[in-house]
Amino acid sequence: MIPADITNENRYLGELVPKICRYAGLGGLALLVASVVLGWAGEAGWERLLRSYLVAFFFVLSLSLGGLFFVLLQHLTRAGWSVVVRRIAEGLADNLKWLWIPFIPILVAVWTGHLYDWADPSRLSDAERALFQHKEPFLTPWFWTIRAAVYFGVWAWLARFFVNRSVQQDATGDPQATARMQSVAAPGMILYAFTQTFAAVDWIMTLEFAWYSTMFGVYFFAASTCGAFAAMIIIFYLLQRSGRLTNVITTEHYHDLGKLLFAFGVVFWAYIAYSQYMLIWYANIQEETIWFVIRQLGGWKTMSIFLILGHFAGPFLILISRYPKRWKGVLAIGAAWMLGVHFIDLYWLVMPAIPAELIQSVTTYSQLVTEFEASYLPEYDLHWRVLDLTCLLGVLGVFVAMAAWSMRNRSLVPERDPRLDESLAFENY
Amino acid sequence: MTTLVIDNTFDDPTRRAPLVLGHDRFGTVTEKICSISEARRPPRAWYIAFAISLAFASILGVMILYLFATGVGVWGNQNPVMWGFPIVNFVFWIGIGHAGTLISAILFLFRQKWRTAINRFAEAMTIFAVICAGTFPGIHLGRVWVSYWIFPIPNQMEMWPQFRSPLLWDVFAVGTYFTVSLLFWYVGMLPDLATLRDRARTKVRAMAYGIFALGWRGSVRHWHRYERAYLILAALATPLVLSVHSVVSFDFAVAQVPGWHTTIFPPYFVAGAIFSGFAMVMTLAIPARQLWGLRDFITMRHLENMNKIILVTGSMVGYAYLMEFFTAWYSGSIYEWFAFANRAFGPYAWAYWIMVSCNVVIPQIFWFQWARRKIAVMFIVSLLVNLGMWFERFVIIVTSLAQDYLPSSWGYFTPTWVDLLTLAGSFGLFMTLFLLFCRYLPIIAMAEVKHVMPQANPHGHAGQEPGESEAGR
Repeated sequence: MIPADITNENRYLGELVPKICRYAGLGGLALLVASVVLGWAGEAGWERLLRSYLVAFFFVLSLSLGGLFFVLLQHLTRAGWSVVVRRIAEGLADNLKWLWIPFIPILVAVWTGHLYDWADPSRLSDAERALFQHKEPFLTPWFWTIRAAVYFGVWAWLARFFVNRSVQQDATGDPQATARMQSVAAPGMILYAFTQTFAAVDWIMTLEFAWYSTMFGVYFFAASTCGAFAAMIIIFYLLQRSGRLTNVITTEHYHDLGKLLFAFGVVFWAYIAYSQYMLIWYANIQEETIWFVIRQLGGWKTMSIFLILGHFAGPFLILISRYPKRWKGVLAIGAAWMLGVHFIDLYWLVMPAIPAELIQSVTTYSQLVTEFEASYLPEYDLHWRVLDLTCLLGVLGVFVAMAAWSMRNRSLVPERDPRLDESLAFENY
Repeated sequence: MTTLVIDNTFDDPTRRAPLVLGHDRFGTVTEKICSISEARRPPRAWYIAFAISLAFASILGVMILYLFATGVGVWGNQNPVMWGFPIVNFVFWIGIGHAGTLISAILFLFRQKWRTAINRFAEAMTIFAVICAGTFPGIHLGRVWVSYWIFPIPNQMEMWPQFRSPLLWDVFAVGTYFTVSLLFWYVGMLPDLATLRDRARTKVRAMAYGIFALGWRGSVRHWHRYERAYLILAALATPLVLSVHSVVSFDFAVAQVPGWHTTIFPPYFVAGAIFSGFAMVMTLAIPARQLWGLRDFITMRHLENMNKIILVTGSMVGYAYLMEFFTAWYSGSIYEWFAFANRAFGPYAWAYWIMVSCNVVIPQIFWFQWARRKIAVMFIVSLLVNLGMWFERFVIIVTSLAQDYLPSSWGYFTPTWVDLLTLAGSFGLFMTLFLLFCRYLPIIAMAEVKHVMPQANPHGHAGQEPGESEAGR
């Protein structure tokens, strides 16, 4: 196989940028406005809008964080194969520098006592209030806001550092830039691990006020790698369809991205999800099982089973084989599926809530099921709403437009990376 | 003859570092590695080490006999700490046994070519460590004469093991791991065994290696099948690296014991196992490298890479310690918080701080390049990590049991002399097996090392010098 010559390639988004910005960006904004209208006028209400919005926000955040992880990992391991696919991961990560803006509604929600029960202690039951006194130092809006500022600061700095160095290298061709990124990748990974973990704890885990799991940060990490690797495969597929990077990205790169999606997004995710569930189920301690109890009732039960099959069993059987990973069209469909189930996974993490009074009024699991089905089902069951979709597409549209906008003058491959040749010639044996 | 590169520790993004130094022909590689097991006599240090190891292994045998003759009362296991040294040692040895398969399977799938120099004896170490590990639950059974009952063997009495118990899952997990690791090690060794057979000067050697080489003739067809088999075994062994220590962690984490029941246990145990395994590889590789002059194969770059993995996994373990502590506080559960505060400040605080300093604090020295390249530093750190990881299991098991929910039943665990000698004896068994391996088998995967030499890749792609391999990631 003769390695591609990048100078023969269309490697800029070029005329696509205004198009993407117009359709995705303006469309996204319009959908966000529609979501607000639906939340204000519809039966779902503000609380529901905020939850839907949180899911959508986490969806794009996970793509960016997964992209940042990919960039850090490639530099940390001095990888050669991945040079040609790295710029797109950088593009995903680059969005971290402005993701604090779509976070503002969540911040406002906390300060006005919405979304999280602890943000408005009057919503807590008596039993929970005693616990709240214990957790209060951690869950005051002030401290919570400062932490959020730290996470966004760290992410924006990391993303800027790696993206800027990499883009500058396109002009200078200086191998020292790579050396510098490699040395920052190691402490960067440590910062990444902690900010990513505590963001998941602060913004999702505390939704269920009393619940806790030491694994939660790792779970979100696994989910975000699933989202980012799937997104990268889809982006390359679409770019190549539009006549860009046609020879630079080869079957071999798809194959490796497919392996990563399989390893992290399917198997590692399932390993973490299974371990968390099995340990909590087996020990059967009430304050821990409560989180899974609601996810085993009504429509949530169907969704849980769907996740086992759709996020693990099905993709496992398909992606384990070599052919689908090397067959672009099939891999792109698989990646789109994984992106979809990743959204459902986040939805499943954020949406279900169990009424505290129900837990206090029953003594056995079967009683709880009967009681839930008799009186709480209409309010607490799984109900898809239009605003779930408008929030997701709205935030995603803006996200895509911003990513395209920051890529407007950049090449889609790191043009003068010292390991570019190695990546172009890369083959799986 | 080309100029030979001496230093391969550079970190230059424009070129890949060579992984084998000082050899520009395959023949000299074969000669060097085979000479270790072909020598008429091993070095004097080997005899001394072997004598000491054998003595300790004999102590293990005597201790086990004494145990069988007397009963488990000879150990320090006593209410409330019913799981004492034997389980600590079991988890410790299983952990040691993780580096081999990580190096041979996961690093193989990640195309980390530097693994070729260390994978053979890391795999051997894995097998010996699992043997040591398996000994402990075996002798812990009390009625050892019915120890086969741990396997689900159909029988007239309709007696079955408890399938809902993670202890039984352990039997399957460890059994599978041992089998696959052994197969992987053996399959990988076939070409090298054939080399030893072909070079044998005596009939006995030729026969012995010949039987185990399974008729390997090095034909293209053999190589083709061999490489497929190797890849499949690597793919099968990869989930095993995760599953074995995850299942071991279930032994604890499914219980309602504060300090045991925490959801991060599976990945945390796996990271810890790889951490301790790499430390043990380091502890063994450094003397072996000196003793048999293997610096051209296990180069400074290899050692530096291993130190980086020790740093990464040590930091993962540190992350888990922190998450456990944070969540114990955040949960608001008084029992959880007591368990962790008690570990850090209670009667076993000494053990806890040995664990934290050896596992988390000391490996941080590997952020510095000079430390990663200093033999003395890495050897000491590797010993301390071994110590720290033994204490981690001690802390987890003993502190959580010694002070449980009922203050009236609190106790303090003290090991007996039998406990201590059994532990020391298990090191003897491990070292005896390892030294025998060093004496009689190819301790470096010759065939694989040759793969990563420039000569194996004469058609280098654009951007590479012809003959330069894309080695040393």
